[in-house]
Amino acid sequence: MAAARLIQLTYWYPNSAVPALSEVSLDFSEGITLVAGPSGGGKSTLLRVLNGLVPHFHGGRISGRADVAGADIIRTPTRNLARTVGFVFQDPELQAVYDVVEREVAFGLENIGVPAAAMRDRVDEALGEAGVMHLARRRVRTLSGGERQRVAIASVLAMQPRLVVLDEPTSQLDDEGASLVISSAIRMAQAGHSVVISEHRLERLTQVAENVVVVDRGTAEVRQPSAWRPIRLTMDATIGRSPGAEAWSLSGVTAGPGGRPVLQDVNLAGRRGELVALSGPNGGGKTTLLRVIAGSLEPLAGKVERRPGRIAYLPQNPTALLHRPTVRSEVRLTLDRAREPDDPDQMLATLGLLAMAERYPRDLSSGERQRAALAAVLPGRPDLVLLDEPTRGMDPFARGALIKVVAALRDAGSAIVLATHDAELRDALADRVVTVCGGMVTEQPAMRT
Amino acid sequence: MNARTVAAWSAACLFIVLFTTNPAYKLIVLLAAFTTLAASAGIRRMRRLLVGVACIGIVDVVLNFVSAHLGRTILFSLPDSIPALGGVYTLEALASGLSGAITIAAAIFAAAPFSLMLQPHDVMDALPRALSRTGTAIAASMNLVSMVGTTFTEVTEAQRLRGWRPRGPASWAEVVVPVVLTSAEGSIQLAESMEARGFGSATRTTFQRPKLGNGDWLVIAASSLAAAGFVAASAMGWASDWYAYPSLSAPRIGLAPLAACLLLFVPVLMWPRRA
Repeated sequence: MAAARLIQLTYWYPNSAVPALSEVSLDFSEGITLVAGPSGGGKSTLLRVLNGLVPHFHGGRISGRADVAGADIIRTPTRNLARTVGFVFQDPELQAVYDVVEREVAFGLENIGVPAAAMRDRVDEALGEAGVMHLARRRVRTLSGGERQRVAIASVLAMQPRLVVLDEPTSQLDDEGASLVISSAIRMAQAGHSVVISEHRLERLTQVAENVVVVDRGTAEVRQPSAWRPIRLTMDATIGRSPGAEAWSLSGVTAGPGGRPVLQDVNLAGRRGELVALSGPNGGGKTTLLRVIAGSLEPLAGKVERRPGRIAYLPQNPTALLHRPTVRSEVRLTLDRAREPDDPDQMLATLGLLAMAERYPRDLSSGERQRAALAAVLPGRPDLVLLDEPTRGMDPFARGALIKVVAALRDAGSAIVLATHDAELRDALADRVVTVCGGMVTEQPAMRT
Repeated sequence: MNARTVAAWSAACLFIVLFTTNPAYKLIVLLAAFTTLAASAGIRRMRRLLVGVACIGIVDVVLNFVSAHLGRTILFSLPDSIPALGGVYTLEALASGLSGAITIAAAIFAAAPFSLMLQPHDVMDALPRALSRTGTAIAASMNLVSMVGTTFTEVTEAQRLRGWRPRGPASWAEVVVPVVLTSAEGSIQLAESMEARGFGSATRTTFQRPKLGNGDWLVIAASSLAAAGFVAASAMGWASDWYAYPSLSAPRIGLAPLAACLLLFVPVLMWPRRA
């Protein structure tokens, strides 16, 4: 019997004439169902139907049928479905209620009225199942992104749901954190839960998934994992010329926010027309290094030098940039400030955003927002380009487009530094790879494809 | 540390400081609250609070001094023709302002352990069952306060590097709008997460209802005795009131109310230093 079933389901967000999901009919069976498809195609909406956040939390109109473990999703409030469906969100920082791990895991049990005497065993069991028993007494804010996401998984497992839904749970994690989260998902399926997971890191999951559901433009299609291959990027980012003069340098730099050193005695430099990729685990100091190079964080010791010129900076949280009423006006603002005559639509077309040029940036999906933020910082001819996790939540097509834009900027002479967990991006573009870990930087040989 | 114990001690401090008009007893309560906080939370964690209390206290003293043209000990006077400020400036008005500042400072320090020494879940666990759901919602929203600060830094940096410069109040919209929207989106996501984990679906239970230890009982007993003792002493006429006007006099101190106030120092010995 299917853990969840959707029949001819169509859903419109409030004030939208175009359905986000259109006549979707799907059975979610035991084991792992992998949900794939382009950014903005409807993956997150589909997942939110499974625990009733769509339509109960988000509003809008819905037609068709949706059942999970025999309960009618359209008529049952999300909070009452919580015993049946567990949901892990994309951002590990925005789903914790309590500040201590075991309390956080117990939160759902408290909500559904589990007696205190039974809670301890269920909390311990869930922590063990998610592989985070050793974190039970830790404060949530001291955990890495991967640890937080596994605590979120433990929080839903404690409620012993029949179906566990994970919405791009590794999009903000380093390789090690992502691998641990995916291992947890596989363990959940082995323990008898039905698991529905939306992901862009597909390699391991396609090997263990029972089904693949491809969601695109609101429609969903089931594929057999053996017959389906994720789109792989073919990179063409060959460098056009040799790097030029030194564009930025750090000499003996010690730096960190709030006077606490995160980077220690860093010596590093970059040239015009050169791309330096920063890799390393979450919390290793990559963002701090970018901020120091940008000049927005003063070093505690040492010297930072930059050639004068325009800086294009993409922060880790792309929504920090977006405040204009349309995507096009975001791009135009940057061009106007830089006094550059380019047409905003050039950049929008390159990043596949032309169709949404007149949309409000915050109404876009997370992958589309990321592209909108990139379009807002990259137009024209910046001298120094600093990108913090630029491919977060992006599908392969969008990543390919980004690579083209960045390669063109590099070939036009911009000095580029990007911090990324994305090995494909790094291998396609980097002239030099620098590992930032524990406040130290180590140079690695680049592997350009 | 048990939130109910903290609540009992805070309530006793607040009760005495608001019950009496005598600044000598208020000052003792202020010292008890300050010492307890310094011993448990540490001066470093109190820095912002100290600055805030100092500012409020100064404003209170100055306001009272310039607005209450009462009292017999005239320090100086300004012509009556000056609107609002004209009139006599007296030692009594200054002393009355000081007494008010001590009251405010003592009340703030007495309530401060809830934010400086306890976590939101400590407070939630101590709430009666009927208030549990509301308490959880409040505690969750408090988590977002720190997010607003972080978002403000992120947005300001990102917009500066994009060419934004603060040029008058209108220019701040480019920072304020994304901060507000990003914070609101964060709170919506947290609400989604709570809803998805069954918040509001049944009568809540509690994972760990903290038990009161011997130390907690001692603090509760001392706090109750302090409040009850002070009331009794007042009823007996041993805790005399004090008024700044019409002419200034030194506040008198009785042994029994003094002893009651000194009981508020018990947590200094009992509460552990927060790591």
